[in-house]
Amino acid sequence: MTDIFDIYLLEAMVNGILLGGVLALLALGLNLIFGVIDVTWICYAELVMIGMYGMYYMVQVFGLPYYVAAPFAILLVAGLGALLHLLVIAPLLTAPPINQLLATGGVLFVLQSFATVAFGIDFRNLGIRMPVLKLFEMHLSYSRLLAFAAALIGMLLVYFFMKRTYIGTAIRAISQDRQIMALMGVDTRRIYLITSALGGALAGLAACLLVLQYDIHPFVGLSFGPITFLIVVLGGLGNFVGGFVAAFVFAEIISLGGLFSDLEWGYVLAFAFFIVMMFIRPAGLLARRS
Amino acid sequence: MPVRKAARVLGGLMATVAVLGMAASAQAQEKKIKIGVIYDLTGPLAGGGSELQYTGAKIMLDSYAKKEVEGYKVEAVYADAQSKPDVAINEAIRLIEQEKVDMLLGFFSSAQCVPVAARWITTCISSAVLDNKNFKYIFRPQASGDQFGLIAMDFIANNSKEKLGKEPKDLRVAIIHEDGAYGVDVAKGNVAGAKKAGFNVVLKEGYAATAPDLSALVTKLKRAQPDVIFHTGYNPDITLLLRQAREQGLKFAALVGHGAGYGVYEKLKEGLGGDVNHFFNVDPISIWLANQKTMDPKLPPVIKMVGEEFDKAKPGVAIRSAHVGMAASNTYVFLTEVLPRAIKKYGGVDPEALRKAALEVDLPEGGTMLGFGVKFHGDGQMAGQNERSFPVVIQYIDDKSSVVWPKSQAQREAVLPLPAGSTYSNK
Repeated sequence: MTDIFDIYLLEAMVNGILLGGVLALLALGLNLIFGVIDVTWICYAELVMIGMYGMYYMVQVFGLPYYVAAPFAILLVAGLGALLHLLVIAPLLTAPPINQLLATGGVLFVLQSFATVAFGIDFRNLGIRMPVLKLFEMHLSYSRLLAFAAALIGMLLVYFFMKRTYIGTAIRAISQDRQIMALMGVDTRRIYLITSALGGALAGLAACLLVLQYDIHPFVGLSFGPITFLIVVLGGLGNFVGGFVAAFVFAEIISLGGLFSDLEWGYVLAFAFFIVMMFIRPAGLLARRS
Repeated sequence: MPVRKAARVLGGLMATVAVLGMAASAQAQEKKIKIGVIYDLTGPLAGGGSELQYTGAKIMLDSYAKKEVEGYKVEAVYADAQSKPDVAINEAIRLIEQEKVDMLLGFFSSAQCVPVAARWITTCISSAVLDNKNFKYIFRPQASGDQFGLIAMDFIANNSKEKLGKEPKDLRVAIIHEDGAYGVDVAKGNVAGAKKAGFNVVLKEGYAATAPDLSALVTKLKRAQPDVIFHTGYNPDITLLLRQAREQGLKFAALVGHGAGYGVYEKLKEGLGGDVNHFFNVDPISIWLANQKTMDPKLPPVIKMVGEEFDKAKPGVAIRSAHVGMAASNTYVFLTEVLPRAIKKYGGVDPEALRKAALEVDLPEGGTMLGFGVKFHGDGQMAGQNERSFPVVIQYIDDKSSVVWPKSQAQREAVLPLPAGSTYSNK
């Protein structure tokens, strides 16, 4: 037993928490769009990809410092989110949800192809080497700690924004009844636009932190897109705390499953857990029992 | 996911495939051979080496576009497999049925080769492509995946005591690989080589190349404490693994990569910086590193031409990737050895003529730009495989790559173990 409960187990658990931070950060914006206002952005991870390219060009090509470039990248993706809503989602708001899915699926391929043509197929890298934190016999990645902190702060900010502000309340209300909100004096078009820009900004925030850990290429979204959707669903649509918890549960299963068995089994177990939970708690991990 | 299944294979294998049922007589009347060329120009494999192979093949085919081979024009039709096996199959069908190509050449990923070959055609590098298939119209001039794994182990076994100070039985080795056909095949060669050398294999594990996190694998490596890591992967997963290895404090004496992502030095350097210094890579030799003194004298000018054309296509590249030369050399073998013989001796470019001509190719060592000779197995377990091909072990030292194994091709002594002070050094 002592062979199992060693420092490496602790390291795997901590790494699971840090991976959870990355996944939670990714799930944050999608939860707002997909979970709260019930609009499907299947191309969410591709918006993150565009944000990563934005960071690359600003830092590597135009020589901006990382912390100066980051707000611009967030604004860029926020703008893309708003544009996506105006051009693709708004005309389809009253159409069956499958139409949104297909349309944003088309945007996914457009963005991948656009990135291939505009930026090329080369893998790109910011070339920033973050320091490593050594704690006892464990080594922790600063870039992941940053992502973890950003996810935590982002989750709290979005939570309070949704609960304590007029626009947040309107966003939550609009998801319950699109038609009635207009009759109550709410400018639904404006609310959708703000929410889309906010979702895009959160994707931009994720992009700023992912570029510290991952290579940038037109297909980087393939690694994150599906798992992000699963986390949002597992956490309960629109439930930010649930999404946060789901990200860490998922990440720990991947990390510990990968430590005790083959790495692939970690993912198999995580996806199996998702399927089982869909039977047991279809409304999400933290859903109240009705 | 395509990449997940894709065992990338390096190497520009070429498949000379004659396709049954083609309008051979019509083609003959036009006196041209139409060659379908399939590589990945988009998707993750493109940047992992496939696009470089495409460039190498295209340079060679372009150089023949204005010439004729025994009265036949050479016409190439290019297709993008998009890093997806299903697209590779569809494009192969399209080229054969609609474009009416006489043969197919290319494929970077074994994950594409295996299903395509199983249907009719083929090519590539994983042993599984040819193993026990007994294909008649498929030929692979370059080394197979398990040979990569074997030579890597052979190299370390021969340096274990002298450079690493350990008897092979005491040497702890880890074999990790992406879980597609290529990675699995190379790892099979690694395991066979480790068994032969008597190494202590402390970890063997595959992973999906698109996995967003490899920290659990790094933790397992730390726990296993290998002296040498044998790794087969693509470019994004290689940089992710090694970046996480640095962040988690993984230490070792040497790392041996096996082509694909490890063959594209520029990208490794961009992603890992100086950490890549003193890493080893197994690949067919770069045509620019091959020993020209023992080479057929007509080949060095061709190598020079390929280099000049590559520099025009990709200016400013510090180390020309071996991928370019693989595809160029394989295409050159077809255009100079197989095609003229098929036309002259067997009367055309139909499948049987190409097959007979391919089986008669008999080039000794030094007969190709890659240094090795060519003689294809006609039948048996590895029918279509070049029995004279071999990869080499190179080492990246201070932005230069040098062949360090086998001794017959070596340009310098290997630096082993990693010098003290290196990021991953366990000294």
